[in-house]
Order: sequence, then C-alpha cells, then structure tokens
Amino acid sequence: MTFTTFARSIGLAAFLSTTALGSSAWAQSIAIAIGSEPSTLDPQLRDDGGERMVNDNIYEALLARTPEGELVPGLAAALPEQLDALTWQFKLRDGVTFHNGAPFNAAAVVASVARVIDPANNSEQMAYFGTIAGAEAVDDLTVNITTTGPDPILPSRMYWMKMIEPGHAATGDIASEAVGTGPYKLQSWSRGTDLVLVANADYWGGAPEIDEATYRFVAEPGTRLSGLMAGEFDVVTALMPEFTSAVPKFAAVAGLETSVFVVGTDNEVTGNPLVREALNLAIDRQAMVDSLFMGYAQIAKGSHINPAAFGFNTALDSYPYDPDRARALLAEAGMEGAPITVVGESGRWLKDREQIEAVAAYWAEIGLNVTTDIQEFSVYLDSLMGSGPRPDAIFIANSNELLDADREMSFIYHMDGAAASNSDAEMAAMIDAARVETDVEKRQAMYGEIQQHAHDLNYTVPLFNLQDIYGMSTRMEWQPRSDAKLIIAEMTVSE
Amino acid sequence: MLDFILRRLLQGVLVVFGVTTAVFLATRTFGDPVALMLPLSATAEQRAAFAAQLGLDQPLPTQFARFCWDILTLNFGDSTWQRRAAVDVVFERLPFSLMLISAGLGVAIILSVPLGAIAALRPGGVVDRLTTSVGLLGLAMPQFWVGLMAIMVFAVWLKWLPTSGAGSVWHLVLPAATMALAPLARFTMMVRANMIEELNKPYVKTARAKGLSLPRILRIHTLRNILVPFISIAGWEFITALSGYTVVIETVFAWPGLGNTAVQAIKRGDLFLMQAIVFIIAGLIVVISILLDIIAKSVDPRIELN
Repeated sequence: MTFTTFARSIGLAAFLSTTALGSSAWAQSIAIAIGSEPSTLDPQLRDDGGERMVNDNIYEALLARTPEGELVPGLAAALPEQLDALTWQFKLRDGVTFHNGAPFNAAAVVASVARVIDPANNSEQMAYFGTIAGAEAVDDLTVNITTTGPDPILPSRMYWMKMIEPGHAATGDIASEAVGTGPYKLQSWSRGTDLVLVANADYWGGAPEIDEATYRFVAEPGTRLSGLMAGEFDVVTALMPEFTSAVPKFAAVAGLETSVFVVGTDNEVTGNPLVREALNLAIDRQAMVDSLFMGYAQIAKGSHINPAAFGFNTALDSYPYDPDRARALLAEAGMEGAPITVVGESGRWLKDREQIEAVAAYWAEIGLNVTTDIQEFSVYLDSLMGSGPRPDAIFIANSNELLDADREMSFIYHMDGAAASNSDAEMAAMIDAARVETDVEKRQAMYGEIQQHAHDLNYTVPLFNLQDIYGMSTRMEWQPRSDAKLIIAEMTVSE
Repeated sequence: MLDFILRRLLQGVLVVFGVTTAVFLATRTFGDPVALMLPLSATAEQRAAFAAQLGLDQPLPTQFARFCWDILTLNFGDSTWQRRAAVDVVFERLPFSLMLISAGLGVAIILSVPLGAIAALRPGGVVDRLTTSVGLLGLAMPQFWVGLMAIMVFAVWLKWLPTSGAGSVWHLVLPAATMALAPLARFTMMVRANMIEELNKPYVKTARAKGLSLPRILRIHTLRNILVPFISIAGWEFITALSGYTVVIETVFAWPGLGNTAVQAIKRGDLFLMQAIVFIIAGLIVVISILLDIIAKSVDPRIELN
C-alpha cells in the first residue's frame, strides 16, 4: 500500500464514520430512571407502579386520556355507546396489529376481558374491574361489554384495562415478553438492571419521535438525582421537592394522590362534630405546603376527592387556618385537653411521617392531648382497614387511578368502605345511589352533594393534592400528565 | 477430616432448619401477610381467596408441616411480588451480590496486607499514623454517605465512572470501592496488630541474629502465622456481607444484588421470596464456614478440626 492509498483509505474511513455519526444523530434515545423495577410485564396481573410505567408504552386500552385527564378513544374508534343499563358497546379501530403481527379485533378484547376477570388469575387489578361480567363479540370490530349492575364508571375502567394478544397470552411468556399494540416494543429486559423499548415503526398512530428508551431501576432518590446531574438520565421520577433547585430542568404536575386524615366519627372525642371542625381549622396548610413540599402541592379543596376526578365538587372551599376558632370550638365541646391518638406509617408516601407529625403538633397547639402512633405497615393496614376499633385519626395518601369520585367515596366515605370510619347510613345510601346512576349530570350533582355533606360534618381532614415532580435533562421536552403515566410518545428531545 | 465435614454439615442442616423456622414463625406472627401482599383496594373476598390459595387460612401447625415438606423438596413457592418461582429470583440476584462482595473484599485483602505490614514495621511512624487515621475514618464513615460522595466526585464531577447500575466492570468500581473501605480498615489494623506481636516474638529475634533479612522473615514465618486469623476474619466479613451488610451499597448504587431484593421482599410482604432468600443464604453461610475451616487447616496443620 502506497502512502497515497493509505491516506485515501484513512480519508474514506473518516468520511464513512462521519456519515455514520451523522445518521445516528437522527436516532433519538433517552434514559429514564424509575424507582422500582416492574415485577412482571404481564399487564393484567399486578397493580404495580414499575410495571405500569413500562407497559403503558407497550400496551394500550380501549380508551385513553389526554394529558389533562379527558377520556378519549384509544383502541376503540370512538367513545362507547351505552345500549342499556348493563351493556356498553365499543367500536374498534380498524387495521391495528399487535407487535407480533396478530390483528387487534373483537376476539382480542373478549379474551382480554375474560382473562383479567378470571378468578383463577387472581389479578390485583380486579379492584378496578370487579363490576365487569364479561365481553361478547358482535362482529370483528364491535364488542359489547356487560356489567353486573349499572356501572357509569365502565369507560374509566376500560381506560385502565390493557389489551393483550390472546395467542401470545395462551402460549407465550407474557410475564417477560410483552406483546402489545402500543407505540413501543420491548427490546430487552436485563432483570435488576435495565429494560429497553424501541419505537414501533408500524404503530397505527404513526411512529413516535424517540426511537429508543432505556429504563434504569434506581430506588434511591439521591442516586437518581446524581444520574441526572451526571448526564446519564433524561428523566427521573419522584424527584424530591428539595432537589428541584439542583436539577438541570424539572416539571411538576398535580398527581393522583391526596393526603388526608380519616377521622373516627364514632369515637368518644372525635365523635363530636365540634372537635372535628376544630381539627380542620387547627392546621396551617399553607405553611406545610411551603416548608415540606417547597410549594409543590396544593391545599385540598375541602375533601380528599382528586380535583381531576369525575364528581369533584368545585364549589367547596379549603378549610381555613383559624386556631383561635379551633380552641373556641374545643371549649364549646368541653374537650380541652381531651386525648386523641393519631395513627400513621412512615416511608410509604412522600413526606408521610413529616405530615403526620406536623399535624399532630398543630392539634396539640389548640389544646388536645395528642399521641402519635407511627406503625409498622402491616399493623397500620390493620388499623386502617381491619375489623378493630377505628383510630381517632389515621393518615393515608389516597390515590385515584380511575379518576372517578366513586373510588374515594366507596373507600373512605361509605360506612362499609374498607377505610371508612363513620356509621352514616344516609351518606352510604347516597353513595350507593350515585354509583348506579347513569345520567352523567345527575351523578355529578349527587357526588357534589355527598362531598358537601361530608365536608359540613368534617368526616375527614383533607391536607394536600400532591404533585408529581420529574427531573429532566436540558434537552428533554415533556409535559407530565395528571394520571402519572409516563408516555414516551409524548416526549421529545431538542437536540 | 471427612468425619469433621459430615459433623459440620449435620450441624449446618440444623442451623438452616432453625433459621428458616424462625423466619416462618416471624412472618406469620407479625402483621397480616395477606394484607401486605395485596393492594390497599383489595376487597375482603379477595383477601380471603388469596389466603386460601396460599394455604394461609390453615392452622399454623398445618402450614408449618407443609412448609417443611416444601423445603425438603426444594419448593419455595412462587414469589407473590414477581409471580415466578422464588428460587429463580434468588439465583438470578445472588451472583451480583457475590460479585460485589468478592470484588470489595478482594481489594481490601490485597491492600491491607502490605499496608498493615508497613505500618507494623515502624509503629508510631508516619505511615503507621496515616494508616491508622485513614482506617479509623474508613470505619467511622457511614457507607451510605461514602457511596453518595463517591458518586458525586467520580461520576457527577469527574464523569469517570457511571453513577449506578450494573452491566460492565466500570459499574462495579464505585460500589466495590465503597464496600472495601470498612473491611480494608479492619484488615489493615488486624495485620498491623498481629504483625507487631509476631515481630516481638523470640523466633524473629533469633532469625535476625542468624542473619536472615527482614523481608525473608516476614515472607517465610510472620505472614504465615498471621494468615490463619486473617482467613477467619476475612471469612467472617464475607459471611456478614452475604447476610445483608451490602444492602445499603446495593441501594445507593442500584446494584441488582440479593440484599436489595430481600428489602423489597420484606417491604412487599413476599413470604415465599423471603423464605427462599433466608434458606439459601443460611445454606451458603454454612458451606462457607466449613470451607474456611478446611482452608485454615490446610494452611496450618496444627489446627484441630473439632
């Protein structure tokens, strides 16, 4: 090889490598750090945050939500039509295929519904689908879904139910090889380390902009922050409010959780409505928003119902901070110095222990004799939902994935609800009636009335609508959603 | 020797059985495992069905008999968190823990012998004081803090190494270095103390009087004499690390080891995974301790194995 030939070879290699680099610049890839690894990629078994964050991009449901929370058609071609009190009809989108090439059709919907409600599968998601009786194919692109009773929340439920490919679910390894219809396909999953998704070029909604997304599983918030600062991650979830000033970029959005104390309305001290009112007036919520959450939380508007949920009563006001009035109410009730026990746990929800201790201190300040009982989680669950006596006040960060007020009302307000602490048969009847009311406006009004009733009687001490905070690299462009879904197809990178 | 191994194995079986029995009783006595395993929104019927499916509605003696039979047949059940065989989860994560512990302790062992020896040669000298001070610092600093500082300096500022995760040898450097720090301090101090003691013994003075050089004395006699206690302390470190000492490091560096998995299993009330982890770790510890005895015997035949 002469020197000239050698030089030409070098030149050609340099040209080719530059070209290759140039073309690779078109391929956009991002890295996302999430706090917990999916326990499985089966989209129908677990109720698990890590699983959802990944599968929300691989699988789709009949209905979707806009980033603001409005229900819109997903795999269904339009919003469903209610045929009678127990039957909803869905028309399906034509021409959709699963990642393995199988068609998405009515048979897939029937199989998906049948699988998730099959008691043999013991799905944790049955909490969302307990009212569904079954599904029946009318034709290849039309499905009727039936419920065991009138169920106005069915559309919200179908936003939560991911559609599986029946053949793969029957014979494949659905727990580790995901096959959905979504904008991303599973490329690899190294358990414990990372999971890689690649864009689905054949996606019915058009190929997404980001070609590859790698999820890294990093439980420690400080390590997620470090990874973001070192440029390893483009998005980190659950950024602590105090870290917002340290990251290159962040976005905060009202989340699904509302922190609240459920008050034992049949107990000796907290059974007195004046005491309960005093509990609500004693707390300087704005000070807690500023000091605990650095401003990244909203004061709850008089109830623990999520403001984005259907049925939220916008007319309610937040409880004001009025410690003098609270003291006067205690005096009027003859309860000055009365003992109350505040039950809670630590480490499950953002700043849970801090919220519990701050509120307990506010209550002590107005003259109650407060005992704080931070319990081990299984003991706490028994306090919250067991058959024993109800605590005077128990803390919970209540979540509402379906974005419908029935979820929170059945759980906390209804006297038979798992976490309820009242014996208000009248309110329970109101909730029962609203649950089966299929007229949207009537139902909205009923929920408004129930919230007003519970607000007037101070059945709960609502605290904050918590925000989800995400740290981002400077190149990321993304507006997080109110339903906490991490949809990669909605993300872009600026470089 | 064979007699000793068989006797130790029998003892080991009893130990493993005792430990797993304790775990069985603890997991069923404290709190309600079904409430922990199911989401908050699960209904009473779902809880009852789940308990029945897992046999948790049976009386405790019945559950225990079934549990013993399952262990004998090496069936630990399915992890309720991961919905797959618990034993698969353990064997998937165990190599990561062993890799981290071996690398950390390996570094500590390799560095501690020369450091301890040099410090012992001139007690009170500059090297000695420096080694002792740094060693004390290594012991005093919490691993959590050391890990985060290491990430901050070497990954965030200098960008030499990845912040977290596994996948290449570079990912192992920071967690292994953090892991090595405290054992390095302990080993160095042990080597130093034992070396000083040995160097003051009459045989060293005799050997020196006979004209043997100090390096030769160290190599032939002294190091061999301190090797047995060194093996036992290193083995103890290995066992301590394996039984959960690495949890903090695994969490800080998102290292996919067994310690991290055990914490998750506890948090999620995954009885079957917890039992599998405890059983397999207890078994490994028994095997390692027998191996250590055998190694010690082969290094110093004067040791009696009983």
